[in-house]
Amino acid sequence: MTMWLPFLGLILGVTLGLLSDIHIPQIYGNYLSIAVLAALDTLFGGIRAHLQQVYDDKVFISGFFFNIALAAGLAFLGVHLGVDLYLAAIFAFGVRLFQNIAVIRRILLAKWMEKRQGSNAENAK
Amino acid sequence: MRNQYKFTVVLLIIGFMVAVQYNSVKKPEVRDTRDVWAIRQELAAEKKIHSELLSDLRELDKTIESYESSKEENAGKALLKTVDKLYEQAGMTDMKGPGLIIKIRPSAESVAFGLPIEGVSPDLLTRFINEINRIKGNSIEIDGKRFTSLSSIRDINGKTTVDGLNVSVPPFSVKIITQSFANSEKLYSTLHASEIHDEFYLDNLILEIGEPEKEINIRGWKERYTNLYLKELPKGE
Repeated sequence: MTMWLPFLGLILGVTLGLLSDIHIPQIYGNYLSIAVLAALDTLFGGIRAHLQQVYDDKVFISGFFFNIALAAGLAFLGVHLGVDLYLAAIFAFGVRLFQNIAVIRRILLAKWMEKRQGSNAENAK
Repeated sequence: MRNQYKFTVVLLIIGFMVAVQYNSVKKPEVRDTRDVWAIRQELAAEKKIHSELLSDLRELDKTIESYESSKEENAGKALLKTVDKLYEQAGMTDMKGPGLIIKIRPSAESVAFGLPIEGVSPDLLTRFINEINRIKGNSIEIDGKRFTSLSSIRDINGKTTVDGLNVSVPPFSVKIITQSFANSEKLYSTLHASEIHDEFYLDNLILEIGEPEKEINIRGWKERYTNLYLKELPKGE
């Protein structure tokens, strides 16, 4: 599987963002940071699903946008209710992020071990 | 393969969001730590420059106006006028205007005791000139010698001189032309209230400050300036 295309997308996005010189007003900074967190959570969820062979296009794309909107909406509601609801979003996404990454790590580790055992067995023959 | 495109688009969006967030967070690079006083001082300095520039502008506007108005008749006339004005500013022409006449003479006590009359020391004369220059824009003549911004008051072989010419032993008079009659009155009051009288009295001299007058004549400085550094370019270059 070639990995360069998504990576290229990431680099392109970062360059675009840095070059465009867009500044978000400080009061909206919270929303953006939570949106970034939600996006990362969905991304790692997607990668995990891909590795576990349960990946679904619709779930991934809808999850990506829905999570971002939900997180931003929650933060917005929190601001207006006077409760720091964005903390809830940070907590939920943070925990899921760590879980997803842990699963990805295990799967990759298992794959690597399998491969090594396979090559060892071939060498032993 | 289609998944890859989707991942690419998603990563592009994430990258963009992260970059924007980064931009927003590091935005206040230099913090302004000046307090109100420092800002006021800077403002005052800027205002001073502003007013100086404005007065320069006004002066130049006047010159342009005079050039333009006299263009039809005679361009050289305006030039001559400018030269005349410069001569006047440099103190090289005779002048007429409102001002004061101050007489410096020996004090009654020194005359009564028969003390020897000594000349005014350069230091005292300089202090006196400084006192006069509290009111700006004066033209001064000391004992018949025009005192300009380039003049010097020095001690030469024990004699006080203005531009190398001896100042006589008191009594002698100092003539001052001010920019307006109102300024003459102001100068009159300033000198009356000044401590310079005490300084003169220590040297057995007294200042007799005359009433402001409508018209006083003072002489110009007749010598030429020696120009050491500026040279005229040969024509055609």
